[in-house]
Amino acid sequence: MAQRKKWAAIPGFFLVAAVAAGLSAYSGATAREADAAQAPAAGNALAYPKFSGLSGKNLDGVRNNTEAMALPKIKGDSGLKLDPAKAPWAYSGASSPQNYSPEQPVKFPHPQHVQKLGMNCTYCHYSAGKAQDPGLPSVATCMGCHNLVATGKPEIKKLAAYYKKGQPVPWQRMHKVPEYVHFPHSRHSNAGVTCQTCHGEIQKMTQVFQYSSLNMGWCVNCHIERKARYDCSTCHY
Amino acid sequence: MSTESGATGVKRRDFLKILGVTTAATAATGCSTEHVRKLIPYVANPDNTVPGVSNYFASTCRECATSCGILVETRDGRAIKIEGNPNTALNRGALCAQGQAALQGLYNPDRFRQPMARKNGQLVAITWDEALATLATKLGEVRSKGQASSAVFINQHEAGSFPAFLDSWLGDYGMPAHISYDADAPASAIAANTAAYGVAWPELDFDAASLIVSFGADFLDGWGPTVPLQLAWADARAKIENAPRAIYIGARRSLTGLNADSWIACRPGSELAIIQFLRGNGTAAAAAAAADVSAATLDGLKAEITSAKRSLLLAGGNGADSTQVALEVAEYNKALGNVGITIKPASPFGVYQRLDVTAAVYNVADRMNAGAVPVLFVRGANPVHTLPKSVKFVEGLAKVSFKVSFTNVPDETTEFADLILPDHHSLESWGDAEPTVNTLHLQQPAMEPVFQSRATADVLIEVAKKDTALASKYAVKDYRSWLIGRFPGGQSAHTVALATGVAAASSARAAARTAGDLGRKPVAGFGGTGDFHLVINPSPTLGTGSGANKPWLLELPDPVSKIAWQSWVEMHPMALKKLGLMRGDLVTIETAAGKTTLPVYNYLGIRPDTIAVSLGLGHKSQSGKTFNTDGDRKVPFHTGYGRYAAGVGINAVDLVSGDTDALSGGIAYSTMKAKVTKTGENIDLITTEGSARQHSRGIGQASTLAALIAARTQKEGGHGASVGGAATTQHDGDAAQGAAEGHDTGPKEWGGNEHEFVGGASTEFRKGLKSPVANDAQGDLGDQNSKDMQMYSEKHWSGMAKRRWAMTVDLSRCTGCSACVTACYAENNIPTVGASWQGRALSPTVWDTRPGANILKGREMAWIRLERYFEGAADSENIFDPGFDTRFVPMMCQHCGNAPCEPVCPVYATYHSPDGLNVQVYNRCVGTRYCSNNCPYKVRYYNWFGYGEPGRRQYAFPEPMHMQLNPDVTVRGKGVMEKCTFCVQRIREAETRADLEHRPLQADEFTTACAQACPSKAITFGDAADPAWTVAKQVEDERAYHVFEVLNTYTAVVYLKKINHMVEA
Repeated sequence: MAQRKKWAAIPGFFLVAAVAAGLSAYSGATAREADAAQAPAAGNALAYPKFSGLSGKNLDGVRNNTEAMALPKIKGDSGLKLDPAKAPWAYSGASSPQNYSPEQPVKFPHPQHVQKLGMNCTYCHYSAGKAQDPGLPSVATCMGCHNLVATGKPEIKKLAAYYKKGQPVPWQRMHKVPEYVHFPHSRHSNAGVTCQTCHGEIQKMTQVFQYSSLNMGWCVNCHIERKARYDCSTCHY
Repeated sequence: MSTESGATGVKRRDFLKILGVTTAATAATGCSTEHVRKLIPYVANPDNTVPGVSNYFASTCRECATSCGILVETRDGRAIKIEGNPNTALNRGALCAQGQAALQGLYNPDRFRQPMARKNGQLVAITWDEALATLATKLGEVRSKGQASSAVFINQHEAGSFPAFLDSWLGDYGMPAHISYDADAPASAIAANTAAYGVAWPELDFDAASLIVSFGADFLDGWGPTVPLQLAWADARAKIENAPRAIYIGARRSLTGLNADSWIACRPGSELAIIQFLRGNGTAAAAAAAADVSAATLDGLKAEITSAKRSLLLAGGNGADSTQVALEVAEYNKALGNVGITIKPASPFGVYQRLDVTAAVYNVADRMNAGAVPVLFVRGANPVHTLPKSVKFVEGLAKVSFKVSFTNVPDETTEFADLILPDHHSLESWGDAEPTVNTLHLQQPAMEPVFQSRATADVLIEVAKKDTALASKYAVKDYRSWLIGRFPGGQSAHTVALATGVAAASSARAAARTAGDLGRKPVAGFGGTGDFHLVINPSPTLGTGSGANKPWLLELPDPVSKIAWQSWVEMHPMALKKLGLMRGDLVTIETAAGKTTLPVYNYLGIRPDTIAVSLGLGHKSQSGKTFNTDGDRKVPFHTGYGRYAAGVGINAVDLVSGDTDALSGGIAYSTMKAKVTKTGENIDLITTEGSARQHSRGIGQASTLAALIAARTQKEGGHGASVGGAATTQHDGDAAQGAAEGHDTGPKEWGGNEHEFVGGASTEFRKGLKSPVANDAQGDLGDQNSKDMQMYSEKHWSGMAKRRWAMTVDLSRCTGCSACVTACYAENNIPTVGASWQGRALSPTVWDTRPGANILKGREMAWIRLERYFEGAADSENIFDPGFDTRFVPMMCQHCGNAPCEPVCPVYATYHSPDGLNVQVYNRCVGTRYCSNNCPYKVRYYNWFGYGEPGRRQYAFPEPMHMQLNPDVTVRGKGVMEKCTFCVQRIREAETRADLEHRPLQADEFTTACAQACPSKAITFGDAADPAWTVAKQVEDERAYHVFEVLNTYTAVVYLKKINHMVEA
């Protein structure tokens, strides 16, 4: 008896929902400012820049060469394994998608700088250890060396052109947690979480891809394993 | 657990499943998008900036003449918050609401975006080169025609080097010194102080006084240097035992009057009779007849003053004879021996030096009307709005052939300008001020200019450079170089001083200016006909109108009436009854000078024969036109002080005759009688208060010193009362008598402690710091060895429950000024909802465009609100009883340990965090509003519209106001519940900083935005579980209580009772 009544409620809910949607449509202010230039471009959740990566040899090398990865020792499954089945990339909640790997305006090779030249991550990402934001090298930082080094290479010429014009390099953003999540990089790096824990073996990625899902389960698992606090207000405020 | 509920027998989980299906069906229309955008680096890193870490620039607030020191918090090059500068002795880190709201002046969308010139009657955008060339040409013309000596420069009064610089520049062009105009200046007090003490504003030492008597001196409403006076007042009152008693004399109980212990409700204009009686001229009976109070009251007053150990008598007011009253009061202060002790002319405030009297602007109007002013410069001041109609300033403007405005907002005066050279906002410019003796507050830009504005001083230098005769004199690069050149020690010393914002100074002081012969015809008493005396007062939040283009200030309810986005007329309930009026009825108020229509607000604190109207609103464009400030982008600006101010309220100056107080040269506002006529219409008052009465709920509690001492004795006598119990004995007092004597009238029937349990009210006072949720589930009451021991346990491996964030609010300090409210708006990205376009749709095509329409629906968003309750004067319709008490209660989320909101949330969007916060998780919230319905404190606020979503009609942060948003706080979307978070972002930031520095969090290391701003230092925040924090001591205070303690909510906010200082009967 109860069962039947229960499902009979569905049309009612649809009605309520339809009315709510209708109300929302008009009270939710479709009226925009006269200047359309200010209005944000209409888009949908998956309207990311065109995917074009993940086919290079280097990337396959990263995937297969697991023993070379200097991953931190973490007990249990923290979701740190890259699932090839998800490739090329999958949408993960409200965060940026795993395995996403857009082509950058300047093809910056991390391996060349990190592995070959032995540069520290924080040389460029200078505030990763002291601020919420990891920091992105200014064009001047790049040009500090590339005024003299490898000036003839096509990518460096692109970089120099930006610098000459006084323009920043418009990097494509990959890693992005939603606005209601606060991820202080410094807190994590000071707790001994390496860059690679979240970003994967970035030093080996000729074209960077998003290694982790960045979804909440992935965050919380690590917080529990590392005995960090994990209630909602740790990150959501 | 029951598996079925309700008549249909739908299980809770099934309900959610069904709901899920329907939601999925509708989700497609309302899906928010998460964009992954570009990641833009710097081209070259600026010095000393770390992305995501705030930089603080010490500067000087220019919102009023006081010139408080401020720290401007900037993030990635944008100013996001203003706090008081703790290095200054003047404001000690505190800042008022207007100071906080300077950010909305900086980011005001209606600011001029570039210079403009009038061409064919239209204002059109021009380049700076054109603008400077035009100005230089015009100056040359004026000089060659020999008209320079008739030119007039009206500057918004400011303290510091700029006035001297300006005078020297004007002098170089053969023009007379500028007129430093401040419509907000307390003219009568300045004139009397200057005459009596030789300084415009002596230091007032509330702390040294045992009795404060104010003759209409509204020192908590913006009379004089507000923040320093409020700090001094709060510190004195917080002493409890030796705190000064305060008596307010006036026809209307202002915010200051409401904070005073007693009110002598004299007839307006009779203050002179009272002070003369006090000084021995005349009898009590004669003075009492003039003042319409009992002779016994005046005798009592005299006895109190003469017997007081040390008194402080202040006189303000804006009547016809206010200066005379102030002079008499000053003489009486001298006779009482107060000078040098409570009134210190030796350490004066310097902020009113060089101020010109308003009558000087009257004089300009007369000269303009006579056609004797060839060119008029205005900077910041808005005489068209602030001067009475009879002065004929507008008419005079028509006869000035060239009008230049340096104002950066489209106010009423600038609308008439022929050339607009928008000045930088004060947060973008260099400067200094000398607010007190030998102290210099430095002003520096906190960010790059938002628009294509230029500092006026730089413009003046630029123009002078174009002049061959002056170029050599103005060889400095800009005004900054000029300032540094004058600074003792030069560039290096200036750079060092900028870090703290304060420097020692020993500059010669300009003499205070007195009225001279500029005053117009003196008036006496109340002129005109009508049954009511009309009292006109500056708004404590909007001043005489400069605040009205900032939505934070418009949305901030008036501290006295709790009305926002509206003008109102205050009338006593007896007067209402006599005229057959109800609250909200529209009445026509007619004086000899003008007529206006206003809704009635029934106010206990006004004499039945008096009505009161506040200044500050009624901005109105003369032309009603909208112009483009930027040719390419078609961004309109709204004449009439911008989109927020336009159409809100009425300008009370229109009711003023225009007579000046001859002794001070200030406008005599309150000199008119008024006729009040019923129109028969009634409108809703846009108010945030539900009830002005507590209805015995004990929200704002008070006690007397005697009762406090009695409770102490009782406790020491071993009667078994706990600390908390002693403080709550007031509940047993006789309610009627209690109200009259300022006793608390707490909930009588709710007393008793039958249900005691661990961490309960009577066993441990710091109960809010104990969470029954935790105790019950996993804490004290749980099995300590259980595997279920979870995050609330102090033994939990994550250590999450080591802290208990808590707050105390000292009601003896709180004056109700509401600075905390604005600070909260600034810190927490709280949208304002009252603008005319933010209303709801009444039908698909008709919008509710009344300003404040959302507030009428109870949809304001203030996370902290200032509740104001009256106690006593119960039969106000029939009896005029000035002996009522007022309780100001800042009310924010109480962060209950046993929160009613938490169990009703179907999606666990609100929960109790282990460190004692009641957390609202925006991304979990689905907007059922059950939590808000179940909150006994009504501190949860719902996003009815997409206030935070660009493109929505109700968007609260029109470009460039969004630049103020705090990146540490989520901007909430439509359909989400929000509330006070105890500034969790500040907690996390402090924890992160401590973690970074490998040290534990230190006691009182940081505080919330409200506590930081409070000019009364009434709010204390911290970790109550750690005895090193101040708050841990405060919660044990004998005056401490929880609001609605009997509901067992175990709040983490502890209030300390207000102490009223009454005369022993």
